[in-house]
Amino acid sequence: MGKYLDNPAALKIDLMLRGIRMEDPVVKAWACGCSGVDILLPQDTLVNIPCREEFTKGSPYLIKRRGERYFITDGKNEVPVKLVQRPAFYGKRTATGVPFSEIASVHGSYTVVTPSKRCDFFNRSIECKYCAGNFNVDGASDRVYSVDEVTETVEAVLKEGASRIIYLSIGFSPGDDGGIEFLRPYITAIKKNFNCLVAVEALPPKENRWIDETYALGADSVLYNLEIFDKELFEIICPGRAAQIGRKRYMEALEYAAKIFPNGTVASHLIVGLEPPGSTCMGIDCLTDMGVVPVLPIYRPSSEKDLSISPLTTEIIIPVYKHLYKAVTKKKVNLNWVRDLSMVTTPAEIRGLVDESRGGLMESFYKSKIGMKTAWGLSSLRRKLRVVDKDPDPSSEH
Amino acid sequence: MAIEIDTRPIWLILALKAVRPVFFVALGLVFLLVVQMPTPAGLTPAGQNAIAVFMLCLVLWVTNAVPLAITSLFAIVLVPILGILPSKETYGLFGNEAVFFILGAFILAGAVMHSGLSNRIALNIMQRYGDSPKKLLLSIFLLAAVLSFFMSEHAVAAMLFPIVLEISKALGLKPGRSNYGKLIFFSLAWGCVIGGVATFLGGARVPLAMGILKETTGDTIGFLEYTIAVLPLVVIMLLAGYFLLTRLYPIDITGVDSAHDVLAKRLKGLGKMSFPEYAVGCVMALTIVAWMFLGSHLGLAAIALSSVVALFIFRLVKWKDIEEYVNWGIILMYGGAIVLGAALDKSGAAKWIVNETVGQWAGHPWTVFAIFSLLAILMTEAMSNAAVIAVLLPVSIGLARSLSMDPSIVTFAIAVPAGLAFMFPMSTPANAIAVSSNYVTVSDMIKGGAIMTVLAWIVFNLVAAFWWPLIGMGY
Repeated sequence: MGKYLDNPAALKIDLMLRGIRMEDPVVKAWACGCSGVDILLPQDTLVNIPCREEFTKGSPYLIKRRGERYFITDGKNEVPVKLVQRPAFYGKRTATGVPFSEIASVHGSYTVVTPSKRCDFFNRSIECKYCAGNFNVDGASDRVYSVDEVTETVEAVLKEGASRIIYLSIGFSPGDDGGIEFLRPYITAIKKNFNCLVAVEALPPKENRWIDETYALGADSVLYNLEIFDKELFEIICPGRAAQIGRKRYMEALEYAAKIFPNGTVASHLIVGLEPPGSTCMGIDCLTDMGVVPVLPIYRPSSEKDLSISPLTTEIIIPVYKHLYKAVTKKKVNLNWVRDLSMVTTPAEIRGLVDESRGGLMESFYKSKIGMKTAWGLSSLRRKLRVVDKDPDPSSEH
Repeated sequence: MAIEIDTRPIWLILALKAVRPVFFVALGLVFLLVVQMPTPAGLTPAGQNAIAVFMLCLVLWVTNAVPLAITSLFAIVLVPILGILPSKETYGLFGNEAVFFILGAFILAGAVMHSGLSNRIALNIMQRYGDSPKKLLLSIFLLAAVLSFFMSEHAVAAMLFPIVLEISKALGLKPGRSNYGKLIFFSLAWGCVIGGVATFLGGARVPLAMGILKETTGDTIGFLEYTIAVLPLVVIMLLAGYFLLTRLYPIDITGVDSAHDVLAKRLKGLGKMSFPEYAVGCVMALTIVAWMFLGSHLGLAAIALSSVVALFIFRLVKWKDIEEYVNWGIILMYGGAIVLGAALDKSGAAKWIVNETVGQWAGHPWTVFAIFSLLAILMTEAMSNAAVIAVLLPVSIGLARSLSMDPSIVTFAIAVPAGLAFMFPMSTPANAIAVSSNYVTVSDMIKGGAIMTVLAWIVFNLVAAFWWPLIGMGY
């Protein structure tokens, strides 16, 4: 076997770092218009492999078809894989004519829904330096999808069973609430109409009461993505986040959110490859100490700019992921929430790198359909118990 | 929606949540037990049921487990179902004059506030008379009190709060540390509390007491008669309050020029006095005169509602402007309390309770007066003043009758102290507003409030003993 072909977790990291070459027309058609191709590696390890960027041309990996089966080969050895079925709703449109694929994209167990692709950092020229195509955010020109359009999209996603977790993502907008007021009608409509879990990726609000509000509204998980832990690099690479929010506020908001949301449902991205591995490890320790799940996407350089540290190899970053797994298990952070993501390697997947076990019974249960329904039920019950309406009842006045 | 996330362990939250259903089941069982137990000697079955309903409502009112109005509605439902009073009579009691007087008073006060007249009066007085720290403090104190003569003390506190807060900011007073900050917010709260007992209009509790009195005895107390009886208490408590406050928190600023600028700016923002302000002011003034001199002849509710009709005939207000000022919950609560009071009286339950409890040791009218006024002033610190009246008045009227006392005297003994809540933020919204400013702390309020409560009870009893005989009242 090749260097990483026998270990799905390591292979996932290596594939995300180096990309893949394609020759099969079916795979090429799948990847058309996408940043990568979704492949299921052995042990149900899902990965979105870069295939269009310049750096992928030098990848040792090739995906090839033999009969009805697909294989990934590094030239010497090969491993059987499955091409993830492209969601059927991608080819459909809302009643207003918007393609569902513009509003939502499936990333494994999550479907990312972007009601607005606007990010005010672009209008102020303080956008994150890597942010060319992460969630395809842009300045003020893009339209905002209506609640009905988003609800229709979510209905299509859930009907098809593409995923059971809806991940609402927005860019920066001026205001104290971190974008929650904007997301309020979307979260409310989704929670009112569907029995699904909702994750929210927003900017940290200026006051903690907005975090309470986010939870009370129906968000089951929240992400405030710090992206870079190193203070100086954070200011250079994420000037908008540094100036408008500040690293300190990120930490405060994450720490507070971890006290409000259930264990394992508060997460923050730390991009691997934009800062030294030691710095990422320090970030992992800091976040896990607060009960936050660090999510480590690998930086994908675009053809215009490459901000990655050098050298950036799988050998260098695998220890970072191992450190992540050890940190989350040591701090007893629940791993059932952040899992099966195609764009990032999750702590649960790294288990295979550390002790080669397959995860416990609970993990398998929560992956099942009944497990998802249980998670939704427990999450709703928890919210019902924890959220206290402080509005005074006027009829109780003296 | 103002929300808070309870971060205590889930098991604890679940245990606490279980308390509520357990509480209601236990309450239901006790209620059924009281209804089913053998009827004691001297009590009719209807009286026994009335006591069961009274106990149920007492617990619900004190604990606030459901809104006060809902407890009252429950009482209205139970009274005919348990055969205490016929349905027709029960629902007829809800149409009591006091309920409609309260409704009229809410609408009139709403019209005054909506027109901006009350705000203008407040700003003018503070600007004209408040040119030194001492005078500004006095003008806030007296303004809160005098305005509470004519409209609900809660409404006065809510109306003056933003003005006083702005003054405190303009003067650069530090929350929690500035004595003057404490003084002006205490003045606001205590002014409203003391002024609120001066007339029928300071709160809905006095009309409620009058309603219960009328339904159980047929007696009434006139608007002017009540005010004359209570005025010395109000004057003495205002003086005592000012004296106590300035001793507890000596004035620590020398000038109030910046506060004057704020008041002048706010006044300028109001523009010149509008026609609706003049007109609503005239209607209100005429209404008060009519209450004073024609109240016993025409009825307070009839005057209030006539004035309301006049406001709408002359298009001085619109219904949607007024709706937010009408606290329908309080109206429902009061209607139910009157029904319960009548049920206790007509079933003979009130008399039986008196004979079996306080009747044994309350041998003299002045002890009855002193004990019930003490109970009322203490209970109002922890529960709604309307609930205090609903709980104590039917029993005390029964006792008054057995001692050949004038029932209107015990009505005073409960209705007046029930409005004198000084100690806690939860006692009355005026106190809560003062604490919400962050200038006054809860411990400040307890410290000053405890002295005021003792003082108020002593002064009230002295007024009853020495002033009332001079005006032809007394026990």
